[in-house]
Amino acid sequence: MGHLAESAGVLHNVSDQFFNGVTLGMLYILVALGLNIILGLMGVINFSHGAFFMLGAYMAFTLAPHVGFWPSMFLAALIIGAFGMLFESTLIRPLYRRIPEYTLLLTYGTAMIFEQIVRRVWGDDAVRYPNLPNYLSGSIELGSFQFPIYKDVFLVLITVLILAGVWLLVNKTNIGMIIRAGTRDAEMVKILGINMPVMFTLVFGIGSFMAGLAGALAAPVYAIIPSLASQWIILTFVVVIVGGIGSFWGAIVGGLIIGILSSLMELISPPAVELTGFIIMGLILLVRPRGIFGVEGLFE
Amino acid sequence: MKSRRAAPWITLVAIAAGLILLPLFMPGGSLDLNPLSGNRFPFHAGFIDLATTVLVFALFALGFNMLFGHSGELSFGHAMFFSIGAYAPALYTKGFKVDIAGLHLHHDATNNGFIALVLALGFVLLWAFLLARLIVPRSSGIYYSMITMAFAQVIYFITFRWSELTGGEDGIQGIARPVLPGLPANWLANSTHFYIFTAVVAFVAIAANYWIVRSPFGSVLHALRENRQRARFLGYDVNRYRVNAFVLSALFPAVGGWLWTYLQQAINPDAGGIDYSGRVVMMSLLGGIGTFVGPMIGAFVYWDIQNSVAQQWKYWPAALGAVFVVFVLAAPAGIAGAFVAFQRYGFANSIRRLFSREARLETDLAEELPAREGGP
Repeated sequence: MGHLAESAGVLHNVSDQFFNGVTLGMLYILVALGLNIILGLMGVINFSHGAFFMLGAYMAFTLAPHVGFWPSMFLAALIIGAFGMLFESTLIRPLYRRIPEYTLLLTYGTAMIFEQIVRRVWGDDAVRYPNLPNYLSGSIELGSFQFPIYKDVFLVLITVLILAGVWLLVNKTNIGMIIRAGTRDAEMVKILGINMPVMFTLVFGIGSFMAGLAGALAAPVYAIIPSLASQWIILTFVVVIVGGIGSFWGAIVGGLIIGILSSLMELISPPAVELTGFIIMGLILLVRPRGIFGVEGLFE
Repeated sequence: MKSRRAAPWITLVAIAAGLILLPLFMPGGSLDLNPLSGNRFPFHAGFIDLATTVLVFALFALGFNMLFGHSGELSFGHAMFFSIGAYAPALYTKGFKVDIAGLHLHHDATNNGFIALVLALGFVLLWAFLLARLIVPRSSGIYYSMITMAFAQVIYFITFRWSELTGGEDGIQGIARPVLPGLPANWLANSTHFYIFTAVVAFVAIAANYWIVRSPFGSVLHALRENRQRARFLGYDVNRYRVNAFVLSALFPAVGGWLWTYLQQAINPDAGGIDYSGRVVMMSLLGGIGTFVGPMIGAFVYWDIQNSVAQQWKYWPAALGAVFVVFVLAAPAGIAGAFVAFQRYGFANSIRRLFSREARLETDLAEELPAREGGP
């Protein structure tokens, strides 16, 4: 009997960590996909993407008490998306004629600035998200297992909806066709008469929107602190490398693998949790450098 | 076209002179003019240590620049070598006791600066070589930057989490400075003496770096930077050169890390963090990527900014971020690059080149150089 209870306890732990990993994975997917679309089309990397995620969380935190849960979430994402478009058209556009490393340097600098602004406005310490609406704050019970509604149901549903939206946008619309063509050969698309700078700004806005939304979704679950920016950006890089640069499915599979495995690592060796993603990245590099869904030749 | 480079010995003499004069140019931190403080000199005592810090980071930046400046590959994780180079001597000097899977590893405190240096270089060499073999054939460009950044986090998290060995977040304190043969046991405890020691080590390392980048090997690195495809067609084993460049560029941060441990007499995981990797990128950018003296100038200017702004403004990293933005947008060639431009185009034309594309084309045509939009 005691043995049975013990194994049930282990099962509960594994299940809890697995679903924590799914939650984390969903957020990784949103952030990484945003970064990936930008990277695929424009060939530049936005180090401030992590800062956009963090800003999204702070925006949601600030707006929620005033406008309510739903509007705060989407307003936060929209603000970050619009901010991303402004950011791209003023700071990143002058750099397209240079080697892409300069964009990384510039956005690294801006990430430092954003983090300090957040420290100035909201302070160094973690802020606590106000209460969720009642219908999201409970748990669903299945037998002896408990699933928090917000984390395990709502967040997953929203992510799946957004992913479906992005998939439709990229695969079924004219804009998506231009994005896909531009990812293959931006020069050629430009020659065909498409206004690429406008496309770049738009895509940068979509990517930033997703980072902002992920931040807003993360706000009720994780501690909202200024260092979220640098923590998340590097893990996002890892997800992108594992999944494959510029790949839609790559971001999804990479995000889930890294989210779930690093959460399960909590059960095996807590100090090694942060290393999990990097170990997976090392293995992927050994056996499949382009990433799971990466396109051969791109960035290799 | 005649060579614009100075003769080797002039450069090295200039660097030696710079090392001797550097402490005179350090800010006093705070001027101490209060006659009651009992301070004989109107300086805050920390200033010579700041000069030593500049030298440590100059070495670190030299290594970084060898990769980004000379072979055109941006490593955004060079702090990992700095960190390994700092932890190896720290652990060797302080001793450790650790169990790995039932294996008891035990080392008593010792104090031999030379063996500590060999250990620092050895561990960095090993890690850099394995890493280079893993990532060099598999990545380039911006992908390479992302991967180096991610692997640097591995070192960071190991030093951060493996408390039993590394002391975790607090790191290791109370590391004794080495004893130099023929000198009193606590000779290096004095800040000025330690500066002299650092300057001698730095001079040797700088000369070695200078020799490497001006050697035929260095010329191949420049070829890789300008056109990797063409270098391959000319018959160079491109990946072998890239691996060697990576390993060599890792050794300078290792020497820097070794000195850093003794300077601070303490070490913590921050040394391998993304901030340190970013700092060294910034120093190179400030000073001038791809020039030989640039990173050293950058280290000096960086610490000058840091030292003057950080004491007055809590949010000083924002100022550093702004420096990044301004230099990337307006002066990608950095301070040393500006001097190169003055020499080449004249002062007025150099300023015009900043703001007008026509001026850039015009002056490039006058020089019969292909038009370039910045970049190393």
